[in-house]
Amino acid sequence: MDIIEINHLTKSYGRSRGIEDLTLSVPKGDIFGFIGPNGSGKSTTIRILLNLIFPSSGSATIFGLDVVRDSQKIRSRTGYVPSDASMYDRMKVMEFLTFGAAFYGAKNNDDRIHYLLNIFDLDPGRNIAELSMGNKKKVSIIQAMIHRPELLILDEPTSGLDPLIQSRFFDLLHEENRQGTTVFFSSHTLSEVQAFCKTVAIVKDGKIVNIEEIASLRKKQLKKVRILFPAVRTIDDLGLSGIGAVESGSGKSLAFLYSGDINFLIGKLAVQPVENLSIEEPSLDEIFLHYYK
Amino acid sequence: MNRILFYMEMRRNAWSLILWSTVIGVLIFFTMSFFGSVLHYQQQIAAMVALVPAMAIKMRGFSNISDIFSILGFYTANNLIYMMLLGSIFSIVLSSNILLKEEYGKTAEYLMSRPITRREIFTTKLALAFLNIILLNILATLIGFIAIMVYKKGTFNLQPFLVISLYTLLLNLLFGALGLFISVTMKRAKPVTSFCVGLVLVLYFLYTISRMSGVDGTFGYLSPFKWVNSNVLSPSYGVEFSRIAAFVGMTALLLLVSGLIYRRKDILT
Repeated sequence: MDIIEINHLTKSYGRSRGIEDLTLSVPKGDIFGFIGPNGSGKSTTIRILLNLIFPSSGSATIFGLDVVRDSQKIRSRTGYVPSDASMYDRMKVMEFLTFGAAFYGAKNNDDRIHYLLNIFDLDPGRNIAELSMGNKKKVSIIQAMIHRPELLILDEPTSGLDPLIQSRFFDLLHEENRQGTTVFFSSHTLSEVQAFCKTVAIVKDGKIVNIEEIASLRKKQLKKVRILFPAVRTIDDLGLSGIGAVESGSGKSLAFLYSGDINFLIGKLAVQPVENLSIEEPSLDEIFLHYYK
Repeated sequence: MNRILFYMEMRRNAWSLILWSTVIGVLIFFTMSFFGSVLHYQQQIAAMVALVPAMAIKMRGFSNISDIFSILGFYTANNLIYMMLLGSIFSIVLSSNILLKEEYGKTAEYLMSRPITRREIFTTKLALAFLNIILLNILATLIGFIAIMVYKKGTFNLQPFLVISLYTLLLNLLFGALGLFISVTMKRAKPVTSFCVGLVLVLYFLYTISRMSGVDGTFGYLSPFKWVNSNVLSPSYGVEFSRIAAFVGMTALLLLVSGLIYRRKDILT
């Protein structure tokens, strides 16, 4: 059964683009990555799913319910972490969390709230206005999870979180997922989507470019390679297959995207003098350029 | 209406209500404290005012200068401006921000991800704004009544006092509805306070100009200030159906249209 179904969804803002003819489905129990560069239409899609904005055409359902007609019912079973963690600044953390939880009608949430506060190492007595961006993000994550939603919609949830808290956050998400929560995870960071999600939809310029299993995306193993030689070389001298977008193809320094076997690359370089070598993860834009030109 | 949101909003707005009530209350009491002196220097004041052009007297809201020598006439001529002008500014500022602040404060995404309908949000915020306006009017009327009781010399007729207070309340509620209407038609998430205050002042200016003697004041009815009958000392003074219908009708229309727009509005961030 699909928890989210989006059919030919379009949102246009006059002359500027929102999303165009977007179709995807998220099965129950999945951890679904929704990835694309900033301004690609991720937040627009999420805002339609939550009925913050209305689609220009197309439709979407969550739990089989229409996102426009049945938005209240949908939101009672959904938790949402917005990309911008703005909240009522005059409240204290605990006050804000109990206020938010009260909308779901659930009582005696204190144990759940303290459990989540503990994971994120957050003081419930602090004023929201005094919190750093990262701590506000923690509050935003907690408020989305108190009522044990069946679906979590996360829009750039890790921005502002330090690596330790990010790790705890992913552990928590895995735990919630094991208990049946479906996760819709929007991000512009490929590594966290690769590490965490089962399936990923890649969105660019308001359109779905591809929907892939993470396992198949990993097989592509796209890397950004920079090599500094003591003498002038050309990219053809390397004799490699799987070379993509070339940034620098001749000279002492070569830079290119490589989707072949990394052992083969290292083997080739081991038999010739190299002054420096860096192999790093390409940016999302570079991946898009490589695969989805 | 959603009670959770209502109580939160009530707490959020409490200080503003207390502050505005205090300021208006102090102004009313302070102004009324001069009534004794006005009576004491009645002849000198009348002689002095005789030198003032009739146009200026009319603009100030007096039909006759002797009006200010009765407690109700003095109250209306000097204090009505507080509740008409300041009350309307309070109303339009409060109501124009009550929905819009969620958008420019970027809390709309949080609020609207709760299981709450747009209708509930609209009616809750509307109820809160109107309750604040009504409370401000009740407090101001009560303070005005107490001030009249403290400073009156001679008789005081309660009925016209209550009627003028009712008109003022309706005027303030109309500006409340206008504020909501302005906020839901905004295409950008930013405060509209300056625009709203400016609008009230322009409408008040229009009303003032329309009262100048020698001017055909019909155009003044474009301003809701003109819909208030402030001629409290007229023997026939009372509740007029046409004025009440104008206030209630326009307020209801603005609220209805605002509600319909908000139902289909893309929430701004």
